[in-house]
Amino acid sequence: MEGTFRINGRHELLEFSERATLLQVLRDNGHQEVKEGCAEGQCGSCLVLLDGRLVNSCQVFAAAAVNREITTVQGLGTIHAPHAIQEALVEVGAVQCGFCTPGMVMAAYYLLRHHPDPSEKEIRRALDGNLCRCTGYTKIIEGIRLAARRMRQA
Amino acid sequence: MNHFEYLQPTDLAEASRLLGDGPDEAMIFAGGTDMLSLLKDDVVAPRKLINIKGIPGLDDIRYTPGNGLVLGPLVTIRAIKENPTIREHYPVLAEAADVLASPQLRNLGTLGGNLCQRPRCWYFRGDFDCLRKGGATCYALEGRNKYHCIIGGHPCVIVHPSDMAVALLALDAKVTIYTPEETRQIPLNEFFVRPAEDYEREHVLKPGEIMSRIEVPAPPSGMLSGYRKFMERAVWDFAVVSVAAVFTRSGDRITGGRVSFGGVAPVPWQDEAFNRKLSGLRLTKRSVTDACKTLLSGAEPLSENAFKLPLARNLTGSLLLELAGVPL
Amino acid sequence: MARKIIKSKYFVEEDFVEVLAEVPAGGSSPLPTNQEMKVIGRPVTRLDGYDKVSGTARYTFDINLPHLAHARTLRSPYAHARITAIDAREAAKMPGVLGIIHYQNVDQIPWYGSSFLFDPHLRYVGDEVACVAAETEAAASAALKRIKVEYEELPFVVDAAAAMKQNAPAIHEGGNIQGGKPAVYARGDFDAGLAEADVVVEETFTTQVEVHNPTEVHCSVVNWEGDRLTVWDSTQAIFSVRDTVAQSLGLPASQVRVIKRYMGGGFGSKLTTGKYTVMAALLAQRIGRPVRITLDREEMNLAVGNRPDSVQKLTVAAKKDGTLSAMSHWSYGAVGAYPSGAACSWPLRTIYQCPNVKTEEYSVFINAGPGRPFRAPGHVQGTFALESILDDVAEKLAMDPLEFRRKNHATIDQVMNLPYTSKKLLEAYDAGAKAIGWDRRRKVPGADKGRYQRGLGFASQIWWGAGTPPAGCILKLNRDGSVRLIAGTQDIGTGTYTVMAQVAAEILEIPIERIQVNLGDTAVGPYCPLSGGSLTTPSVTPAVADAALQMKEKLLSAAAAILEVPQGELVYQRGEVRHTGDTSKKKTIVEILREMREQTLLTYGARNANPEGYAINSFGAQFAEVEVDTLTGHVKVIKVVAAHDIGRAVNRLTLENQFHGGILQGIGFALMEERVIDPQTGKVLTVNLHDYKMPTIMDMPEIEVIIVSEADTKISNVGAKGVGEPAMIPTPGAIANAIYNAIGVRLHSLPMTPDKILMALAQKG
Repeated sequence: MEGTFRINGRHELLEFSERATLLQVLRDNGHQEVKEGCAEGQCGSCLVLLDGRLVNSCQVFAAAAVNREITTVQGLGTIHAPHAIQEALVEVGAVQCGFCTPGMVMAAYYLLRHHPDPSEKEIRRALDGNLCRCTGYTKIIEGIRLAARRMRQA
Repeated sequence: MNHFEYLQPTDLAEASRLLGDGPDEAMIFAGGTDMLSLLKDDVVAPRKLINIKGIPGLDDIRYTPGNGLVLGPLVTIRAIKENPTIREHYPVLAEAADVLASPQLRNLGTLGGNLCQRPRCWYFRGDFDCLRKGGATCYALEGRNKYHCIIGGHPCVIVHPSDMAVALLALDAKVTIYTPEETRQIPLNEFFVRPAEDYEREHVLKPGEIMSRIEVPAPPSGMLSGYRKFMERAVWDFAVVSVAAVFTRSGDRITGGRVSFGGVAPVPWQDEAFNRKLSGLRLTKRSVTDACKTLLSGAEPLSENAFKLPLARNLTGSLLLELAGVPL
Repeated sequence: MARKIIKSKYFVEEDFVEVLAEVPAGGSSPLPTNQEMKVIGRPVTRLDGYDKVSGTARYTFDINLPHLAHARTLRSPYAHARITAIDAREAAKMPGVLGIIHYQNVDQIPWYGSSFLFDPHLRYVGDEVACVAAETEAAASAALKRIKVEYEELPFVVDAAAAMKQNAPAIHEGGNIQGGKPAVYARGDFDAGLAEADVVVEETFTTQVEVHNPTEVHCSVVNWEGDRLTVWDSTQAIFSVRDTVAQSLGLPASQVRVIKRYMGGGFGSKLTTGKYTVMAALLAQRIGRPVRITLDREEMNLAVGNRPDSVQKLTVAAKKDGTLSAMSHWSYGAVGAYPSGAACSWPLRTIYQCPNVKTEEYSVFINAGPGRPFRAPGHVQGTFALESILDDVAEKLAMDPLEFRRKNHATIDQVMNLPYTSKKLLEAYDAGAKAIGWDRRRKVPGADKGRYQRGLGFASQIWWGAGTPPAGCILKLNRDGSVRLIAGTQDIGTGTYTVMAQVAAEILEIPIERIQVNLGDTAVGPYCPLSGGSLTTPSVTPAVADAALQMKEKLLSAAAAILEVPQGELVYQRGEVRHTGDTSKKKTIVEILREMREQTLLTYGARNANPEGYAINSFGAQFAEVEVDTLTGHVKVIKVVAAHDIGRAVNRLTLENQFHGGILQGIGFALMEERVIDPQTGKVLTVNLHDYKMPTIMDMPEIEVIIVSEADTKISNVGAKGVGEPAMIPTPGAIANAIYNAIGVRLHSLPMTPDKILMALAQKG
């Protein structure tokens, strides 16, 4: 199959098999910032925005994402121009091995877009589908609070 | 995952025609949150996947005072969780949606998919030729069965995994089933199939039949409702036991209502005897706790899940009292 | 710098290891305390932070090469079987299939001691049968299903108690007890100690199998260039992967280069070379293309290690005054189908003063995935049992549990009869007790009433983590004044890049941004130990300090030559060499290098030898507050205070990461994680992240980390002890004691899941 995807604002014409998930197509085409931890919707490492909605890209067939808008973590901010969430996570020390981090950033972004001033409980609920085996989550929560504060002030 | 064709019909009639040859040939694909895992693990291997998301009108939420609520099967779990009308009139539904899966899965997952999802039994999902997959044995009977059913099981002891079904059952919902020839409506409790009737399927839909809507009666005035789900992990898990309660009260007595359970049986479960007793039950800690002592009294726990019985009773008692505002 | 070669002994994960090591001949001088430091000890953010948050970071999993082929593994569906025939002809003809290897077309490559890379005798569900390389992963997976294998099923056993019986199916020729006999230890006279006791408690505890499940799955990418092989591997031990791969393929180690890039966690499962790496190399050789092999989450839960389970029978005897008079530990645990270690009595032997101790431990083979070191192997299980029974003894003595531990504080290592370089466990008790509010603890267990019942508990911890030579670091000073550190260690996510840079930045007094760190490449970095056993920071940072101190000397010497003044009149400050008298005489690093017309200056730093005649251990105490929902049996951990002696804290942020993560893994082990096997088939039922339950963000309690120690000046210039494992060891024990304090029922079996608690409460009535 073949289809156009709008990934991080750019149109990309990609070939893929009918069985391919969005995650596979993204990763096969250079978007390795989208991580794969379980391929079963159980870890949150592969989160992207699909038409603005947060989804596990391993749970979406690529065929169903054709002609739609996809945002990966690099669409939010890059190493040269990081997003406030990315900055805050680095500053508070919320990153350890970093493999779950792109997914965490996406979930945090989705939360803050809908709830600019979340309580700690709301942060936890918003990230409860993202597994991290290293950090113990505490600093991730702290980082999101810091980012929220800065984003509200900006 | 085997090869399959991915088809996107634009109306129900076409979808129904495509589904007409049965699940080996074609299966519905909507949110995909369960289907992708089933495909990946080769639990199912249809030749065609029928994506029905392009069919208009299946994701409506409509509420009319006096008539109640109509939900399309493609309504997402998130939409139910966040819909102000549902939150106001049917807290039990919003609460069930709220504790279901994870935020991103709630964005994808649909009501229809949730009602039709396959069991989470680790034998069914795993590399076992189990009864439900056409084999000869229900491995859970003699195997590891902590998460399995305590009532209504044999010969297959799965539990039904749906949260929405438990809430909808307590609300006495009805399901509309579409075929190009006729559209029929059945009560939700007739939608699910007990293993004693047929252990290879969980619901009554036949090839070519599509769930086209779910109707919930208008809430009687003053209706109280709630959903409590006990998970082993605090979130993002299926119910070990869940309970939905819907009732009306007058003074300190329940005037009528219904309690239903998830995690205890192969179908969303109701204890008819208990529901009959609800009418007139005094909302005091003592009488509610006493009434709950006989709940699910026909239960026959397996080797590892006797705890589900006290758990179901405790959860029910505390939910009823909590909804009534009686301190525990 | 004068060097010498010494024999050095250190404890890693489960055993003492003796190595020859090149160390500085003059020993090491301690660096100043953290109070006097500008970079060391500060909460410096990670050098790799922005790489990771932006998605720029590339992991082994992300490596892509031209013409890359993809490999998948066929694994045994039977717990115990013999392959009688294998036919891969049909599979080989499938579209995209490039090569298939199995026991009939590969030489016998020794593995697990007595087995082979492909052994027709299959000993667990998941044992490797064949491996396919194809154009895509999907094509390889499809081909696996077409390999025809005939199996002769053999009787199997998946329970250690059953495996120890006389008539049990034999998994190996020597029987099911690893080594043929138990590991035993004794000191003093146990029976005499028992005779003089006023209180004797005997209890049996069990712990479950725990699976590492790092977020990045195990994976390797291999590429041959002639006879030289490059292996990218997600590993905690690049040199041991190099050696194992070279040996397996019959190559000189110098022809194998192992590179570890960013890595998504390990926790011990990536300490061991995977069969998959060698299989990929064999396939790559045959098909003449690079090969990538990744495991899926199911394979992660079958075949790459776990924490062995345990059944531990403990007897603890004490006198009326609270003095321990005798302790014994008898245990067995299932190591899986191949050698590993299930011993867990170390804490009991060492942490408290007790003259009469005996232990007897069996590591038992069963038909299940082999064990591997997992964050403080043995100690987590052993500490849970020990600290649980000690609380019960204290209760019988009517003593406060903390008082009881203080009373039995050990001042020397009783096994080796050596003093400790430092031990601040008493300080940890004081600080931790204060932070949690130990005086709030109800004296009577189960005294809290109502639906939600709260309790407090604590447990102590001992671990090695002293670090060891050999560990080397090359420091390159570039012409632009930047520094590159090169070492053969690996940052497995713990922050090694950052702590190494901190040490160099501190000593050379230059901004940390000017330092780059290159790790994880056997062809480039000098040898360093594997990253396990909490070894990395205490082993590697002293080598960095050594290299940086030498570089300072080198710069002084260079400046003296350039300025034509005696070196003794020069001082090094903030990246400049200045004359102590004439302030106009100064040279920056950049100026010195320009005048030397060199691109770089180089030094090589080495980790010093550990001091003779001492035991080096880390210590700590964790205090937990829990709330038990008596209607559901759910345990919520409210707060954990971790008060530890870990020598010098090099970086507060990465240190807290380690503690938070270790405590959460401890919570997972205490309350939810468990590998479940079907007894009828020997198949693992918990093969995904739904059925294998790891803690989520909802389970994380408030955590307070208190470091009671300063640099341990006897160990090394930096004086750090490792923290990775200490962070997890006491958590389950502390939670178990807190649950007992809350509900008055002792749980002897991990994980303490709601069903067990509910049934225990029901029995209590």
